[in-house]
Order: sequence, then structure tokens, then C-alpha cells
Amino acid sequence: MMSKTKFWSAENPRIKELVFVLKKMRSSPLSIVGLSIVVFFTILAILAPVLAPPQTDRDPYIMPRTGYSPTPKPPSSENIFGTTEGQYDLYYGVIWGARAAYRIGLLVVAVSAIIGIVVGGLAGYYKGVIDEVLMRLTDIILAFPGLILAMAFVVAFGRGLDSITLALILVWWPSYARLIRGEFLRVTAEDFVEAAKAVGCSDLRIMLRHVLPNTIFPMIIMASLDIGSVTLTAAALSFLGLGAPAGYSDWGQIISLSRNWITGVPGNPFAYWHAYIIPGIFLFLFVIGWNLLGDALRDILDPMIRRR
Amino acid sequence: MLTMTLAENEQLKVEDLIVRFYTYEGIVKAVEKANLNLRKGETLGVVGETGSGKSVTALTIMALTPTPGKVEGGHIYFRRSTGEIVDVLTLKEEGLLKIRGKEISMIFQEPNAALDPLYTVGDQIAEAILTHRLPEMLEKVGRLEGEETKGLWAFLEKLPVFKGSIKKRLLNEVVRQEIVELLKLMEIPDPERVVDAYPHELSGGMQQRIVIAIALACSPTLLLADEPTTNLDVTVQAQILDLIMRLKRKFGTSVIYITHDMGVIAEISDRVAVMYAGRVVEVAPTMEIFKNPLHPYTRALLESIPRPGLSFKAIPGTVPNLVNPPSGCRFHPRCSYAMERCSRETPELREISKEHLVACFLHGGA
Amino acid sequence: MKSVIVTDNLRKYFPIRGGLFSTRKGEVKAVDGVSLAIKKGETFGLVGESGCGKTTAGKTVIRLLKPDSGRIFFDPEGGLSDNPSDDFKQFDIARLKGRRLKSLRRHMQIVYQNPSTSLNPRMLVKDIVAEPLFVHKICRGKEAEKRVLDMLERVGLSEEHLRRYPHEFSGGQKQRIAIARALITHPKFVVLDEPTSSVDVSVRASLLQLFKELQKNMGLTYLFISHDLSMVEAICERVAVMYLGKVVEVAEAEELFEKPLHPYTQALFSAIPIPDPKTKRKRIILKGEPPSPANPPTGCRFHPRCPHVMDICRSEEPKLEEVKPKHLVACHLY
Repeated sequence: MMSKTKFWSAENPRIKELVFVLKKMRSSPLSIVGLSIVVFFTILAILAPVLAPPQTDRDPYIMPRTGYSPTPKPPSSENIFGTTEGQYDLYYGVIWGARAAYRIGLLVVAVSAIIGIVVGGLAGYYKGVIDEVLMRLTDIILAFPGLILAMAFVVAFGRGLDSITLALILVWWPSYARLIRGEFLRVTAEDFVEAAKAVGCSDLRIMLRHVLPNTIFPMIIMASLDIGSVTLTAAALSFLGLGAPAGYSDWGQIISLSRNWITGVPGNPFAYWHAYIIPGIFLFLFVIGWNLLGDALRDILDPMIRRR
Repeated sequence: MLTMTLAENEQLKVEDLIVRFYTYEGIVKAVEKANLNLRKGETLGVVGETGSGKSVTALTIMALTPTPGKVEGGHIYFRRSTGEIVDVLTLKEEGLLKIRGKEISMIFQEPNAALDPLYTVGDQIAEAILTHRLPEMLEKVGRLEGEETKGLWAFLEKLPVFKGSIKKRLLNEVVRQEIVELLKLMEIPDPERVVDAYPHELSGGMQQRIVIAIALACSPTLLLADEPTTNLDVTVQAQILDLIMRLKRKFGTSVIYITHDMGVIAEISDRVAVMYAGRVVEVAPTMEIFKNPLHPYTRALLESIPRPGLSFKAIPGTVPNLVNPPSGCRFHPRCSYAMERCSRETPELREISKEHLVACFLHGGA
Repeated sequence: MKSVIVTDNLRKYFPIRGGLFSTRKGEVKAVDGVSLAIKKGETFGLVGESGCGKTTAGKTVIRLLKPDSGRIFFDPEGGLSDNPSDDFKQFDIARLKGRRLKSLRRHMQIVYQNPSTSLNPRMLVKDIVAEPLFVHKICRGKEAEKRVLDMLERVGLSEEHLRRYPHEFSGGQKQRIAIARALITHPKFVVLDEPTSSVDVSVRASLLQLFKELQKNMGLTYLFISHDLSMVEAICERVAVMYLGKVVEVAEAEELFEKPLHPYTQALFSAIPIPDPKTKRKRIILKGEPPSPANPPTGCRFHPRCPHVMDICRSEEPKLEEVKPKHLVACHLY
């Protein structure tokens, strides 16, 4: 009579792998820093309604304002981080901004990855004409500089956070397709894929059950490095005014609001530092946290791939 | 002085070698006090399976222990062509560079992995020659140079752009000739064409000949061969073995030939060393080892080879995990003659009869 | 005794592509007219060196590759005669496709040479061995688990090995997992493609014993492909020798190893190093290198290297004929 091991028990081999990865991270200080930052922002995003309770019934992403004066006010007891142009509360903005960053980052990366898996997977598995056609399509998109193409899409779709998300997905999926195609080409050449054919597995089963799990690691690495890039690009688009409307809790948008105040007053160029430095720090930390995590994963997962 | 460590006729002695690999799975005790000695001009066959430590030992002889391996004890005494005896493990990089490729050469199992696919075969042999035999080549160039410096070349030679070009051209010619001679020695057909060929254009057997050519380009005193014919077809293997034996006689090289194939051992070795789980368990002349194997592992190994008419028996159990090797004698869990003592103490390699050494409590080794 | 597999003039070519648009520049004639009959319950050996086409032949016979011409008759019950006439057309699997081909797969399986690459490194052992059961809808859940455990025990493994990844095992154990996967659907015919080459010498014997045992208990018919002649001699009843895409000799194992007739077979056997320093074998060293299967020599393919070459050998290809009882050779000397 075989016992069914519970999912979370120490015997489950996949849990053992996860534990191994976490343990390996301990050995590098930078990876701990990266992991900590990511965990911090995750908690921030989850606890946003608790840390900065929405004041009205409207969209919680809109920052509450304590007035309408255009001049940003420095941090005070009322507004911990001060306010930006239009008296929007910065504290509220940067916390909900974490949520917004995750929303865009995760959504873009997830959807791009899925499209990339489908396109790259079919190309790498079937090769031949399918490969040629799909890859040329990919090449067309890759031929354009990413930011410019995204801007063009957003202008076509109309401004807004959803437009940015869609535009970024359209710009980002080709690099996943390329990566996955290469991985599929490599893995389908392995013996065990032919063995699966000998067993009688259908193509779909082989692609999902045999090839895909063996391409996961490079994808995870790419995804974690990409979350930072996507967020940064989205912030850039927001900064340029193509993204969320004014008053929305999006770091890029908040920095955009401080555009007129960067030079400060004559004699004190940093008079309004809080308006751009604070959201800037949040953005910077978020991106670097994910980058460090991605690097750490690459260092750990790569020998694991080779060990097999 | 190390003069007393090697007997008059000894070429190499590995003494109590310890090599450990520091991996994330633990410390792999790959080689645990291994002892080998090699006489001048002889072929020592080293037999062992996965995990026996034979390849690690061979690489360590050239101080090329692969990371994350570390040598943690022992000596490797080698008699150089100058007569000087050195401990390879104590040499610094510059001392090692003088030995590697020139006095000790190695050939590996995968010829196409040993050859750089981006360079012609001739270029790769030339690299070996130019690294170690440059003075000899330059001397040949010098002799030819006088004749060449005539006419147009004599004039061009004076110009800064062309200065030294005669020398370079002559050097190329001299080295190329040397390479062709070497290829002929390797019995490679059509050597002039092969010099300019790329490795992938040649068959496995030919590639291995090239690897041997590179290894022997500088007439080394010691040749380490790590399963060089395992991946080759049987008929090609026969040719290569034949070649190695003839070259060995011609150059007087001492050879350490690593393999798992007892048939090859029977054919080419003078003496045999059997390794198991990082230790040398038996050493004897070839005839003796087949006629009278003493160590239970050697016996079991010989019995497990399917032979026409004879039944064969598998060895129970598996090769031990070297992170947590068995206590005492590492073979005891699989040994049909294991005694209580075998799990407690490790037997030493001891000479039982003339030239026949065993590490087993059944035969002394106390 | 009737046959399980009979091939008739089987051919498999691989195109050589080159140039700008991958135009077909030539063909590697890997298998060029192979006709074999494998009898029910026997272990049929197929030997030859690299490039002779034995692995391609093995994979084509079980339709992992699609043959270019020729017929493959497969009857899992083993009722084929030596020369199937058109009455046996329904057993011809050479042109099968789709669902019909897939349903055949449970009756014919293959064990690969290198178990480190033939097992999915990201799958647990229990899933690897159970997969054929799911794919062919034989059973699921608890029933499947029971069968997997039963099969593992038959190959010498146990319950504790179920939830592990392949890389946690030794070479010999991995090969046993591969064998379990191949046999879980109780196929009638199994191709063993050099199953002991990647495994330690001392472990080979135990794998051979396992093959024999399983054959007896499960009524299997094997095609044993190998370049290791001592392995072949140990467990095969009949053996065929291939050279450059063609079968040059077929005979019972004992007969073949004692009195090989074809010059290539003679040279091949003489090249095997014997683990006995006393016997000095008279070695027939062949001239030159094996030619490329893309450009085989005219007439008898072995003629450029044959020590007994005659004029006729250069122009006319010898046919595989029975020159002694149950002993076929393709050579003009006979």
C-alpha cells in the first residue's frame, strides 16, 4: 500500500528543490539583498489597503489630495512624504504605486511569456516552414526599438495604463519567443523526447509534459530580470504622459507630476526633492531588487541545469 | 633532495595520493591514498570503473585536477628527461609548463573534444611543436636562411614591413615538414592534405591519430592515455592500439593506459593496476593478474565478462557513493569474502609474492 | 518457428541538405535493402560498426522512422512465415500513420543506449514508468501505481525509488528504469539499442541476466543491437552482421562466431581484444577507413578493404544467400 505524500512535506522532491535554491541564495549577500527587496515590495503591494487606506469610494489608485495648490509641500505630520503638484499625498502614491508596478510588471511578463511559449514552442518543435514564418514575424517586431514601438502602440490605442500594458506585451513577447524556440530546439533533440514518441505520446503531450518543463529555468531567469525592465519602461511611458492619468498612483506618473519642480527655486535647487526623489527611490529599489534576484537565480539554476 | 625517492628504473611514482572534490552535495573522496609506480619504458594498464578515481589520478599527474577537486596529500615523483626528480604537486606554474606537453602528454577519450574545431589539424600540431621545440625549429631555419636571402627577397628583407618575413616563411615550411613527417609516422594516408583539414572533416579514428600526434610531437617520456579507444569501432581500435604500441617502442615512451576493457589490458600492458573507489587494490604483471587474481574485486571483474562458452556472474551491489564511502575496505559491502575486520580497517597495498601487490585482509595487508 | 518481425528490402535514406535553400545534395543510404526475419521468443543480434546502419534499422523496424521503401511485417502473436506473401498485407506497418500506428506502439518498444539522456530529467521515476499506461489508456490512478511498482520490482528496484529523479541513480539503475518504462505495456517485441554500452563493465552482466529473465517471464522477442560482440555472443541466438547499410552475413550465434564466412565478419571478430594474455589472436588489420554511407563503393561495398577481393566484387553486388544450413552470406567467394 503506497502512502500519498503530502504536497508540503519534506519528502516531496519539488519542495526539496525549492529548499535547495533558497539555501543556495544564502551564500551570496547580493542575492539576499535582492530577495529581501522583492519580499519587501511584495508585502507592500499586498498590504497597500492597510498601510494607506483609500479615502473615497472612487478608484483606490487615485491619490487623495489635501488641496489644489500646485506647489508641492515637503514632508509633514499630515503627509509623511509630503505632497506633489496638486497636493496629492505622496505616501499614498508610492505605496499604491507598488501595487500598480506589480500589476503591470507581472501582467506583461506573464502574458508575453505565454505568447512566447506558444510561438516559440511551435517554431522550435515543428521546425521547417512553421519555424521560418513565426520567426520572421518575430524579427519584424524586434527590428523596432522597443520604447519607440511601444509609444507608437500607445498613441494608436489611446493613453492609459491598459494601453501601456497592451503595448508592452506586444513589444515584449518576441524575446520570449526567441528564447523558448532555442530551448525547444535543444530539448527536442534529446533522446528522451524520441523515447516519448516511441511510447506513443502525442505531440501536444510531448511539448507540455516533456519539453516545456526542461525549458523552465531559463524562462524563470529571463522573467525575473524582465519585471524590472518592464516596470522601468512603463514608468518611462507614464513619465512621458502616455500612461495613467494625473493623480494615479504610478511611480512614473508621480515623477511626471514633479516635472516642473525639478529645478527647485533660485538658490535652492533641491527645494522640492521629495516630489521626485521619493518615488524615484521606490522605482529604483524595485527594479534593482528584481535584477539582483534574477542574477541570483541565474547563478543557481544554471549549474542545476548542467548538473542534470 | 628527492634523488632517493625513485629507484633507478622508475619513471613515476604516485605515493599516497589524496584528492577530494568539494561539491554542494558534500565532499567527494575521489582518490584516497592511491599508490602507483611506473617503470621506464613499460606500459602500465590501469583498470577501473566509474568512481574508481583513475581519470582523476591521471589528470593529477599533470597537475590538472579538475575543479572543484583539491589535492590534499601525497606525492607524485617524476623523473625528468634531464634526470632530475621532481614532485609534480610541489611545482609552480612555470615548472609545470615545462613538463606538460613536453615530458608528460595526455590523450583522452573523445578526440573531437580534444581538438579545436576552429583550427586546422596542422595548426594544432604546430602549436605543440612551436611551444616546446622552438629552438630546434629555429636552428633548422637558420641553416636554410642563408640560402634564401637572395635576389628580390634580399632587397625586401631590408624594408621594415618585410623584415623577418623570410624567417617566418621558413619557419612555417620547417614546421610543416615536421608535421607531415609526424603524420606519416601516425600512418595517416595523404598527410599533405590532412595538414590543412579541419577536425570535423576527419573520422573518429583519424582524429584520434591526430591527438596522438600532438601528444607525441615532443617525444614525451610519459604518455597518459585515458580510454583513448573506448569510443572507437573495434576495427579502428585494433589499428590504434597497434600504432600506440609501435610508437611506444620507437620513442621509448612509458605509458599509463587507463581503460575498463580487460581485453585491451591483456593485449598491451606489461603490468596492471586495479583501482576501486579511489584506491589501488591490486598491482601485478599482466599474465599474473589474469592467471591468479587475488583481490576479490579483480576476481569478480574478470568473472563478470561474458566469454564464449563460459557463464558470467554479475557483481552484486553498486559502486559506492564517494561522499559517504563505506568504512574500512571500500569493497567490503559487495565482497563475498568480507570479514568482520574489513568494515573496520582499511587494508594497505602490500607485496604478497614477487611483483604482486594486493590490498586485502585475505592476503595479509595488515 | 514463426516470426514476429519480417522486413522485406527495407530502405531508409537521410537527405544531405546544403546550400542556400537547403537543397537536397545527396543521400546517406543508412539502411539499403535489409531483409530480416526475427522469430518469436528469440534474441536476434544485429552487429556492425558505426555508420553501418544498425541503429537506424532498429528504429525503422519499430516505426520511429519512416522507411523510404520496403515492407515491415509485424505480428505480435508471432505467426509470420519467413517469406510473407501478399496474404500478410494487413501486417505491413511500413506505411501506417496516425492512430493505427500509435495503437501499435504498446506492442513494440525500445530501450536506448544512454539512460542519462533517454529519461526526462524533470520527471519522477513513477511518472516516467507510468506514462505509457496513460498514453494508451490502459489504466490510471491506483491501478497504474500498482502496475508501476510491480514493474519496478521486476527490474530490481523498489518502492523507495518511485519519487526520485533520474539523476539520483547510478547508470545501471537508470537503465533498469528505462527497461521498466519499455515493458510496462507488456510489448511483444523490444529493440535493445546498445543497452549496455553506457554502463559499467561489472554491471553489464547483471543487465544481461535481467534481459534473459524478463524474456522468459514475459515472452519477449528482442532485437539486440550492439557493437560489443562479447555481449552479443552471450545472449543472442541468431546474429546478423551489417556493413554500410547492408546485411552481409546471418547465422546462429555459435556458428557465426566459430566459423565466420564473410571477410568483414572475420576481420571484425579478429579485432576484438581477448581478456586473456596467453592467446595471441591473429589479427586481420583492415586497410583504410570505413567509407561514407553517402557515397558507397560500387559492387560489393566491402571490396576496397577486402583482403580477398576479386574482379567481380567491384562491379556486381553479391546477394545474401544460404550457403550452409541456416547460414547466409553476401559474398562472391561463395
